[in-house]
Formats: sequence, C-alpha cells, structure tokens
Amino acid sequence: MIRQTLCSVIFLFILFFSNSILADEAFITAQNGQSLDIIDLASMTKRLSVPIAGKPAGVALSKDGRRVFVTSPEGHFITIVESKAGGIEKKIPINGGPLGVVVSPSGERLYVTDFYDDMLVEIDLNTQKQRYLPIGSKPAGLALTPDGQTLLVAARDDNQIIFVDPQRFRKIDQLVVGRHPYGVTIDAAGQRAYVANVESDTVSVINLASRQVIAQLKVESHPYGIALASGRIFVSNQHSESLSVFDAKDLTPVATVKVGDYPEGICASIDGAIVYVANWFSNELWAIDAVTLKVRAKTATSDGPRAFGLFVAPAL
Amino acid sequence: MMMHATFFKKLVVAVLLLSPPCAVYAAHGASPLKVVEEIKVDAPLEKVWSVVDDFAHPISALSIERIEISGNNAPDQAERRLFLKDGLMITEMLTKRDGERFMIGVHRKTDNIQLLPAVNYTSLITLRSLDQDHTVVEWKARFYRGYPNNNPPPELNDDVAVMAVKKLIIGELAALKKHIEKPVGQ
Repeated sequence: MIRQTLCSVIFLFILFFSNSILADEAFITAQNGQSLDIIDLASMTKRLSVPIAGKPAGVALSKDGRRVFVTSPEGHFITIVESKAGGIEKKIPINGGPLGVVVSPSGERLYVTDFYDDMLVEIDLNTQKQRYLPIGSKPAGLALTPDGQTLLVAARDDNQIIFVDPQRFRKIDQLVVGRHPYGVTIDAAGQRAYVANVESDTVSVINLASRQVIAQLKVESHPYGIALASGRIFVSNQHSESLSVFDAKDLTPVATVKVGDYPEGICASIDGAIVYVANWFSNELWAIDAVTLKVRAKTATSDGPRAFGLFVAPAL
Repeated sequence: MMMHATFFKKLVVAVLLLSPPCAVYAAHGASPLKVVEEIKVDAPLEKVWSVVDDFAHPISALSIERIEISGNNAPDQAERRLFLKDGLMITEMLTKRDGERFMIGVHRKTDNIQLLPAVNYTSLITLRSLDQDHTVVEWKARFYRGYPNNNPPPELNDDVAVMAVKKLIIGELAALKKHIEKPVGQ
C-alpha cells in the first residue's frame, strides 16, 4: 500500500515536472497543407492537426497560451483556435489578405498586416470592431514592444519599418532598413528590434529609443525570421538551408547552423534554451540547442510549415 | 463596386500578359506554392550529375532554338538565356551548386504568364543514388500563382499554377531520363 502510494507520488511528481518544465507546445501553420499543427515539444510529436482553410500563414498566441490566432491570406479571415482541444472558437473576416499577426499584452486586441491591401488592421476582440490604417507597401512582419506601447511593421516593398502608436492607432515614425524587410522581432527588454531584409541578405538592428539602425548584420541568402535565445540572435536563411547565429550583446557572428530546406518561421522555447525552426520545403520542425547549437530533434509537420510569428507557448 | 473590381482584375491580367518579362523577384502573392516530382534514371549518380550540373547545356523538353551564357558558371552569377522557337525568351540564374548533396538551384528571372502561369519560379534539383546503376532525380519547385493580388481570376489561381508547374517538371524530368538513358551512338 505504502509502496503503491509512493509509486503514485513519484509518478505524479514526474508528470508534473515533465509538464511544467519541458512541455512547451508549438503551433505551426502549414500553408500548403492548410492546417495548424499542434506539436508537443517535449516529445517532439504532433498532438493535433486542425484543418484551417485559406492558406494559413501567420500565427500568434495569447499570453496565457489558451488562444491561437491564425491568419489566412487567401481566405481573408483570422481563425481563433482554442489551444488545448484545437476547437475553432471564431472566424473573423478581414478585407484583404491577413499575413502577420500579434496580440496586445492584455489579449484584447489583435494587430494584423493586410499584405494585399497595404493596411494595418486592429481588431478589438471584445467588440469585434476593426480599424484600418494605410501602412505602406506589402506589410509583412510586425512586433509589439513588451509594454504594448510601440508597434513595428515591416513595409516590405517600401524597404521600411513603420513605427505605430497602437493606442492612438497612428504612424509615429518610419525608418529605412534593408531591401524587403520581412520578419521583425523585439527583445524582452524592449530595447532593440531585429529585422530580416530578404533581398539584401542582412539583419538590421534597431535601437528602439533612438529609432535608428545601429548595425546591419551580414547573414546568408534570403533571411526570413529572427529568434532571440540564450543571449544570441538566430536568423533563418530561406535559400541557404541555414541559421546565422550572432552574439546579442556585441553583435559578433557565432556560427552558421545547417537546417532543413527553406527554413522560415523561427521561435525560441519559453526558457530560451532551444530554438525551433519550421522548414517549409522539407516539412519539418527542427529543435536546435541554443547553447551547443546541436540539432536536438526533428519532427515531421503538415505540408509547407510557415509558422510566421511567435509560435511557442507553455502547455496548459 | 463589383464592376470596378472585375474591371481592375481584367486590367491587371492584360498588363501582365502584355508587359515584357519582368525583373528579378517581381510582385507576388502571400502564399508560396510547391511541387515535388522525381524520376528514376537508369544510370550511375556521377553520370547523371555530369548532365544536371552542366548549367550551360540544359537538357529540356522546351523547344530551345539557341542559348546564350554569361557569368562564369558560378552560383549567383551564371545566367542562361533560352531562346525558344516561338520567339519567347527565358532567363535563368544558377543560384546554388552543392557537389556534396548533388544539388543545383535555378531561378527563373523572367516571369511570363503566357509561358507559365506562375511567377518567382525557383527549382532545386537533387540527385540520390539508389545503387551503382540507378539514380533518383528529385525536382522541387517553389513559386507563386501568376496573379499577384487578392482574389485571382480562375485562369491565374493557385491550382492553375501548381498544375502548370507539375506538367513542366514532369516533362523536364522525362527529357532528362531519355537523354541520359539513350544508347551510345544515337
């Protein structure tokens, strides 16, 4: 009896810690396969695949990890998915082609780039009201500072980053970066932003206080997204099947890591120990150790994983 | 409003059809498409690689009349201009050559939806040895539909682009197999 109880306690202990420490989950939009894959990252296995029409591309998660927001540029809607069971909570129609998406820290508002109509869209999730702001040519990636006070949008075909005041929903500044900026990532301190310039094979480092480009990092061919983990900058290079890695403090190159074909969406684990990258052509999610830079695991995804956005959340 | 949208779409299609082939990385939609096809060639890997790797002398099912070459046969420099019998011209750039993976990458710089209802078309061709005498050629293509904006007309939508690229690649792989396997002296 005592032995059984002890075993149960140990079992529960292991279960508790394996869940709380290791089990982040990834929410991977498969644009060609038209689904959202929910992947348990402790075991690197697909837990669920939720069918989503309209070539899903962008993804964002509420802070508590309970809701997933997915853009469908060809379906002209956003899907809200309940992350645990994968149930579809709501479909929100958008005028044009929703691509990038972020959630406000309060979880009450969504900001979405409309790639086809050159708009920034704000959606109030309580009232369902939408506001549209002309933002520049082919808006793609976007990122919010942790305090939710500043929004950065990559206007791809204008080669610019647009600074937006989300409260007033107004442009406050613009900054020329490289050719065809796409993915945008802001650090946890809200001090710097990193922008992948697809056609100039560079990453622009922006000081958010001065709104200036303080460095242009040379990466490999066609950078797409950026993740920050363990004091390092990880950049996915679509045409080079690689990640360029830099020291985040002094911006010096650390290494180049070979990954799968056409790496696109990239995101750090919650604890920053691992970087996950979706390989669009080879249909895989790879886990790279952020310190040793070794490949820890790979898993198959649905067709054409794009995972454009912050796609990792703690498991519930 | 609907009239306007339809008119606008027709106008865009007309411009796309009439305009000369455009420069590198032209306007494209938000959703990249892919096609993957492969074929088994009855020849050793080295022999297949010597043909596939010869960027200046492409084996193709297209009716090529003559070819102009520039740029040293080096990735991101080498270009070939394929002049077709019907007067159309295709410019392609060598984007990648990986002798360890037996892979080359080719990007079509000239989008022409009369020729192919897809834009920003890039191929990755990879060889895999089956045994001493057999090689698999895998052809992967990434591209976008021919219509770069929202709500494409039916003749320039994603499905049309995928079908056209699939047909193109199957033809190219068959031509390659035929060329390599033909008996000596023919």
